[in-house]
Amino acid sequence: MNSVDSLTGFLNRFGCFHTAMRLAAEATGNRQTFAVIWLDLDRFKQINESFGHLIGDEVIENLATRFRPCVSGRAEISRVGGDEFVLLAPGFDRTQALQFAAELADIVQEPLHIGSLTLRPTASIGIAIHEPNEDPLTLLERADHAMFAAKSKGGNNIICSGDEPIPGRLGVTLAREELSIESTLHEALETGGFCLHYQPIIHADGTVEAVEALMRCKLNGENISPMKFIPVAEKTGVIIRLGEFSLLQGAMHARTLHDAGHETKVAINVSRAQLVSPAFTQALHAALLCSNVSPNLIELELTESLFMDISDTVQQNLKEIIATGVSLSIDDFGTGYSCLASLKDIPAGKLKLDRAFVTVLPDDRRALSVVKAVTQLGHELGMTIVAEGCENQQQIDVLLEAGVDAIQGFFYAKPMPDSELLPWLKARSHKI
Amino acid sequence: MNLHASAPTPVDQMVEKAVIDLGIPPCPAILNRFMVETRKEEPDYHRLASIICSDVSLSASLIKTANSPYFGVRQRVRSVNDALVILGLNIASRAVAGIILRKTFPTVPNMERFWDASSRFARLSGWLTLQLDQLELAAEDAYTFGLFRDCGIPVLLKRLPSYNSVLNSANNEVELDFTQIEDAVLPTNHAMVGCVLAQSWWLPEEICLAIRHHHNRSVLASTASPPPLLSRKLIAVTQLAEHLVQQQLGLSLTQEWGKLGATCLKLLDLDESQLEALALEAAPVIAADE
Repeated sequence: MNSVDSLTGFLNRFGCFHTAMRLAAEATGNRQTFAVIWLDLDRFKQINESFGHLIGDEVIENLATRFRPCVSGRAEISRVGGDEFVLLAPGFDRTQALQFAAELADIVQEPLHIGSLTLRPTASIGIAIHEPNEDPLTLLERADHAMFAAKSKGGNNIICSGDEPIPGRLGVTLAREELSIESTLHEALETGGFCLHYQPIIHADGTVEAVEALMRCKLNGENISPMKFIPVAEKTGVIIRLGEFSLLQGAMHARTLHDAGHETKVAINVSRAQLVSPAFTQALHAALLCSNVSPNLIELELTESLFMDISDTVQQNLKEIIATGVSLSIDDFGTGYSCLASLKDIPAGKLKLDRAFVTVLPDDRRALSVVKAVTQLGHELGMTIVAEGCENQQQIDVLLEAGVDAIQGFFYAKPMPDSELLPWLKARSHKI
Repeated sequence: MNLHASAPTPVDQMVEKAVIDLGIPPCPAILNRFMVETRKEEPDYHRLASIICSDVSLSASLIKTANSPYFGVRQRVRSVNDALVILGLNIASRAVAGIILRKTFPTVPNMERFWDASSRFARLSGWLTLQLDQLELAAEDAYTFGLFRDCGIPVLLKRLPSYNSVLNSANNEVELDFTQIEDAVLPTNHAMVGCVLAQSWWLPEEICLAIRHHHNRSVLASTASPPPLLSRKLIAVTQLAEHLVQQQLGLSLTQEWGKLGATCLKLLDLDESQLEALALEAAPVIAADE
């Protein structure tokens, strides 16, 4: 029976099993051990379905070429399924097998350029170490089960049979459009395709309360909508890097405004992924030190997804943020996950009413009742209330009458690049 | 060739003023102009040279970099144009970024020596990747990482009066990680500051992560990702460069090799005898860079 896989030249399933039998016999004879490393590509089905089997084959051939030098002399490699590889490594113990698996995971993650698309595949890897007198079939099954456990953790994980999982990068499942956006995101990261735009928030007395920094992405002259790239950035973990970029750039801009005579707060959005990290406040301090800006000119806007679960780390981070002198605001209040408990648990000085309550004004009396009640509650707690998404004077009139303290929306200004903000602020201060 | 300096635009002047006031380049104006040109499909070398030539000390530093023995150029480089051709666009642009960063901290004492050491580690790291080709590390990545690895230090020295003594303690610490000493008394550490800066200059993710974790023993020894293996190899190769330079010249003595050396050698797949041989080969290269 043929034991070679025609696409890669590696052993096939049959060859793999026979090699495993031979190694198991040798290992028992020599009292040596050997490792089985079962590698399954994540999202490969989607690649095949989205781009066709020819592209799928190209991905497999590319990976096989990359695996060869790393595997040569260390293990027997076989392709046992469309996107599954099994490595049999004689003499490898658990530590060596984990090291080897990590190298393979790194090889898989190197960007693959297929046509105009850049793919960044990941793999789920299961490891099993041969036990004395264990039959090869059971050994292979254990490695396969460990791989499934890695896959069920969201992919991009390495798990040793019978072991606790080793956490890896966020596993993701993305549809075709999202794959393409992910590719764009990475390209934009490499070429500096991100920047911040700023949208003013106007206080009822006409002064500028703050400016909100909003992430924008532009690649090859084309603007990518934040509605598209932010969710993908959140799924793939890129949001952490973008969030840290915003912290530094936003703080730098607050300093530029200060130097130009404008004591204007810059409100910077912080994602859940950032705030659940114990290193968050170190990154915040790094941004404050680099920009040499006074912390009271920085405000952090917490997104609603944060309220799903306020862990001890998040609580600690919130406490430390307040201790630095940076202020907090609750964004998109009134929809999604936000709830009254968040008002109790989060030491925020500002509450931003979701645009859903604003765009239906002035006609929707029920929405207005909610606005009035939330405003009153917020004031009781000593908070400033901001209404987002204001587009006309009638809305502003009813909101101010309801007691809202500040307004953000196209009616006053659209988000603008940093180069336009200073002239805008100057013109505004002349008007007042 | 007569290269005229291109006139700075009002925006450049504004950014340059911000650089002077803040002490940290957002993305330095000259570097920005330089990078915009390098990213074009067909970059104009004359225009690039003229951007560099708009700053005399920058031109001199770039020529000096190209003449460094690490790049193995037999004939002496005399012009910015030649330097660009010899170094290639990527190395040149990162060298330019490094030189500008260094010029940003003229008022911090002992900075000159600090930057000399960083540039030396960067160049030797690049050279090492060529000797250890089985690592499959790009020389330009090792060079860039070496150059920016410690860029958080001058920021902290400038901003925090107490940092000098923290730095001394961390340099002399034989047990704990370098950054653990910083974390015990400061709200952040130089690795985090360096990483945040590197991210804002759009350095590749692997280099940013290597900067963030370059003193972290458990991350370096771990097999889990992130950071990717490439980041760990970068950390190892530059740590080795630092060790070789310190061994030979006695510059910037730290305790890092004692804490990280064994893991670095493992990552670089070197044993003690191979290390000795490599140190002998590196000796004339280090001496020639004096």
